[in-house]
Amino acid sequence: MLDVVIENYVLLAGVIFTIGCIGFLVRRNILVQLMSIELMLNSVNLALVAFNRQHTGDMNGQAFAFFIIAVAAAEVAVGLAIVLQFYRLRGTVNSDEAASLRH
Amino acid sequence: MSAGILLFVVCSLMCVGGALITILARNPIRGAMGLLGTIIGIAGLFLRLNAQFLAAMQILVYAGAVVILFVFVIMLLGPSAGISESQGARSRFSRLFSGAALAVFGAFALVFIGRGARHEFAVITPAHGSVEAVGGRLFNEGLVPFELTTALLIVAVIGALAVARSKPNAKKKVELENPTLRMFHGPLHPRDAERPLSGDTLSERVQKESV
Amino acid sequence: MEQLTLLFPSSDFTLLAVILALPLLGAFANGLFGKRLGKQAVTLIALSALGLAFVASLTGFWMLATAQSAGSAAVEHGHEAVHHVVEAARFKWTAYNWLELAGSGHGMSPRSLSLDVAFSLDALNATMSLIITGIGFLIHLYSSKYMEDDPSYYRFFAYLNLFIFSMLVLVLGDSLPILFVGWEGVGLCSYLLIGFWFQEDANAAAGKKAFITNRIGDFGLLVAMGLLAYYCGALDWAGINTNSHNLLQPVKIWPVGTDVPIAQALPDSWALAINTPRYVNAATLVGLSLFLGCAGKSAQLPLYVWLPDAMAGPTPVSALIHAATMVTAGVYLVCRLNGIFLLDPLTMFIVALIGALTALFAATIAFVQNDIKKVLAYSTVSQLGFMFLGVGVGAFVAGFFHVMTHAFFKACMFLGAGSVIHAMHARIHGTEQSQDMRNMGGMRKFMPVTFATFGVAWAAIVGFPLTSGFFSKDEILLKAKTSLVTGPAEVVSPNGRVAFDNFVWEPWMGTLLYSIGFCAAIMTAFYMTRLVIGTFFGEFKGWTIVPGWVDPHAAHAGHGHDDHGQAALGHDDHGQAALGHAALGHAAHDDHHHHEEPGPDMQGPTPHESPWQMTLPLVILGFLAAFGGFLNAHPLRLIGLHITPLENFLEPLFVEATEVVKTAPGSESFEVIGLCLAVLAFCGGAGAAYWMYVVQKGAPARKLAESFPKLHQLVYDKWRVDEFYQEYIIGNLDSLAQMCVWVDKNLVDGILARLSAFLVAVSGTVLRQFQTGRLQAYAAVLVLGMGAVGCYVIRPQSSLRIDENHATGKYGLRAAPGFGYSYRWDVDGTEGWDADFGDTAEAQFALKADEARTVRVEVQNALGQSSSEEITFVRPRPDLSSGPAGAAPMQATVTRGADGKLRGVPGHDPDKLREALKKGAH
Repeated sequence: MLDVVIENYVLLAGVIFTIGCIGFLVRRNILVQLMSIELMLNSVNLALVAFNRQHTGDMNGQAFAFFIIAVAAAEVAVGLAIVLQFYRLRGTVNSDEAASLRH
Repeated sequence: MSAGILLFVVCSLMCVGGALITILARNPIRGAMGLLGTIIGIAGLFLRLNAQFLAAMQILVYAGAVVILFVFVIMLLGPSAGISESQGARSRFSRLFSGAALAVFGAFALVFIGRGARHEFAVITPAHGSVEAVGGRLFNEGLVPFELTTALLIVAVIGALAVARSKPNAKKKVELENPTLRMFHGPLHPRDAERPLSGDTLSERVQKESV
Repeated sequence: MEQLTLLFPSSDFTLLAVILALPLLGAFANGLFGKRLGKQAVTLIALSALGLAFVASLTGFWMLATAQSAGSAAVEHGHEAVHHVVEAARFKWTAYNWLELAGSGHGMSPRSLSLDVAFSLDALNATMSLIITGIGFLIHLYSSKYMEDDPSYYRFFAYLNLFIFSMLVLVLGDSLPILFVGWEGVGLCSYLLIGFWFQEDANAAAGKKAFITNRIGDFGLLVAMGLLAYYCGALDWAGINTNSHNLLQPVKIWPVGTDVPIAQALPDSWALAINTPRYVNAATLVGLSLFLGCAGKSAQLPLYVWLPDAMAGPTPVSALIHAATMVTAGVYLVCRLNGIFLLDPLTMFIVALIGALTALFAATIAFVQNDIKKVLAYSTVSQLGFMFLGVGVGAFVAGFFHVMTHAFFKACMFLGAGSVIHAMHARIHGTEQSQDMRNMGGMRKFMPVTFATFGVAWAAIVGFPLTSGFFSKDEILLKAKTSLVTGPAEVVSPNGRVAFDNFVWEPWMGTLLYSIGFCAAIMTAFYMTRLVIGTFFGEFKGWTIVPGWVDPHAAHAGHGHDDHGQAALGHDDHGQAALGHAALGHAAHDDHHHHEEPGPDMQGPTPHESPWQMTLPLVILGFLAAFGGFLNAHPLRLIGLHITPLENFLEPLFVEATEVVKTAPGSESFEVIGLCLAVLAFCGGAGAAYWMYVVQKGAPARKLAESFPKLHQLVYDKWRVDEFYQEYIIGNLDSLAQMCVWVDKNLVDGILARLSAFLVAVSGTVLRQFQTGRLQAYAAVLVLGMGAVGCYVIRPQSSLRIDENHATGKYGLRAAPGFGYSYRWDVDGTEGWDADFGDTAEAQFALKADEARTVRVEVQNALGQSSSEEITFVRPRPDLSSGPAGAAPMQATVTRGADGKLRGVPGHDPDKLREALKKGAH
């Protein structure tokens, strides 16, 4: 019976997470990296809500996802401020330039 | 093919497609649009999962604030928001290698997951995922995290302001008699007075000094 | 007198404290405050310290002599028939009890050995301390004028006083450790005083050489101390003498080793010779070790090399230390421990032989030296050889008497030489040139007092009849010829198992020693006469040394003769004179010809007689050198006069010598022959020197030097012993040190320091490649790590927690929980799993006594991976060793079976045992 079961959602979350992870590791543009982080966070949200749908005792999963959304918003704000400052210092948003800790 | 399945398929296609556009697009605006697509897809899936409140929150906050922020910053940066990825072979190999490795690993993991048994969804009440349900959770057991999140948001606002502030152009050096005040305003170590910290990387400074 | 005895009782003779403390305080005061006090105060402190010490020594001597003669009088009154053995008087003072070393008490090790800081005074000590303080005082007086111009005047007197103190500690010490303290002290002071003008490298090197050579000898002394502590159980004189018979036993020595590896490759007889142990007398070992110390301190043959170099120090130092006192410390040690030396004829022979050879060897070197101090130094070495020859043949009193007379005449000669050098120095500023005999001559006209006293001392040393040197040297040679040191025929170990034949003193040994000594005596006469002729007779050759000098008193034509009186002025002026008066015309030269001697153009201040502070000691010492012989005028017995107060005084101390040392047959006649030979030696040597240098004006000497240039050069270079030592001994040590330096720098530093640093650097260079500074690289590593952790976490853990109760036999197992785990158990002992995968994480089972079972568990996680664990349980047999409660203790019944073998069965009754075991099982 072709029904959508929880495994589908988990699989989808995994796919999005993997794509986000790959994007973070491969792309050099800081903005794209930040967006990949958002993808990962979203995938986690999806998984949480899906499991909450499965284990319906209380709304822990959705509450947690709510907090994740709030924190992600805060993080994006500060992160983009940092990107702006970085742009002012370096003149580019190439993350290879952020190698001051290089030996 | 029921409507539920159709919704699922469409939304998941939107998610995955948006994600792929995000990570593959050269133009960061296109990437932001891809992100937007993913977010809307996720919101649709939330709806399917009886998480109405959360779906609304997703659209409001993510699509309405986060993506807007991204777009604003991209517009501030202007043309330099996009960089040419093909230049600079320094890190190319390691990046592509780690990406490929992760892709392979991810594929394996996902196949592994997909082979498992299938569990049906549980039966739920209509109150599941409603504003009252989630709000009740938030304001009763989750009150402390809720308030902390408030504080976090305030701090984030202030932090973003502080970090993004541009330096004033010429700061007049104040002659201070009070040694404590001088210590406050002056360099921490005498050697910093001779060689003030610049914004260059070590390698750049070395290059400049050797020239 | 009685008050003195009351004040200083013989067992708590604090006068010794006075004698010791005075020079120490003088040294302390001069050393710390001398610079501020000024020359006169320093002189006063030093001289008064020593003068009072001399008075105190004299008092002690007098008290001791009185006590000893009182003792002898008692003995004489008591036993007239018996050959009276006078008890040696001894005054003792213990400063404090220092150490008590605990011994094992077994065998020869004593229960405890106590080391005390104690001093004692007996006949030998008292005489020695008189010599030390008396001659020390005279030399202090002399130095007050000799070192007048030296900027470090106070330091000199501080060192001199310190030296006197150390020497007194050495002679007054009551035990070997205290003597050793003084021994090292005089070594130190010798170093300080030889290197007094340390600004010159040569002087400092000479000081170091003296100290180091002494130190090599001190090793022998320390070994001897250890051996004595072991064998005699005591280190003070009384204890050593009481137990010295313990030393007469064989000691097993392996010359190379017990099982030398290379010996296996050699032919059998050689291997045997290398590996077999030898037996030596313990007394030989102790004696030779002690003699090594003496050889270092008293400059005997292998270790004499420091004494000639020590002439780099000021002349009063040479007079005091290297003529009168320090170098005689070795002879004093031998006299003090005569009990040990007399135990072994072999040691005595070696001592005497080395002494005689040293005397001869040093005399040959003195033949060709030109520096007067060097001639006197080698003469000292030679005379020390005579002293050891004397004590080596058992003539302790004769040897000690030679110490006394040598102190008189050698100190007189050194001071006289100092006087001459002082005069020469005014003209010639260089040290070596002012001491070179070739620049002197005719000094008797300029320095009559010095000449007279030097002549008296010369007469003493060459053996002019009736001088002190004549008596002492003659007695030594006589005793050398006629003594036989006897000892036990065999040396037996205490348990009687080992015995070897002892060394036997043959008469030819005496003759050999006598002939070597006789040759040395002739040579002494020769070179001393050469010295006197070269210095005091002939024409003064040091006229044209200082070019351009002009007499500052040229303007005062009539005052020519006042130069003698204005000796001090002449001294002060010559510094300026050399600089400033070159501008004055040559006309002033003529005014200086106020001497009878119409010499060539005289340029320089005239040598003049020294002031009274320098000539008075010379006169006193000369008097003693001339008439001191009558303290022990042995040969006068032949004409019926018994004038031997010294021998009578010292005799009680050397009682064993009279027992052990016998005279060879036919020696009575030799006394007269010996006397005649002695006079012949003097005439021959002196006459030959006179003929060669006065009659022939030194022509034969020069011809000999030209005919045998290589030999002449060899002897002039002191037989190149120093060079030999430098090349082979010091050079080898240097090479060893270089090797160690190389090992340290390259192996130790290289491996430990540089290799480890290199490894760290390499690993750092490798690891640094990971520090790219890029966030993506770090994130990739993070993902990798998380993946690994995740893989580990996901895999099912099948660790079990076990509850086991051996008493009841019930065992419980609990598996660890995890996400989605399901469990499958096999605990019932049957093949195959108990049930299929379920959620039960616990299982229990029971075992009977002494039963074993293997249980298994398989854990599966949500992803279908599983892992299993297998454990074997054994329930042990119940412990019935204490028996079931209430039953009688277990016993075994032992029966003898039909085949004769014993069989034991536990318990009385097998049935009861079975019941008991059943009961215990539950």
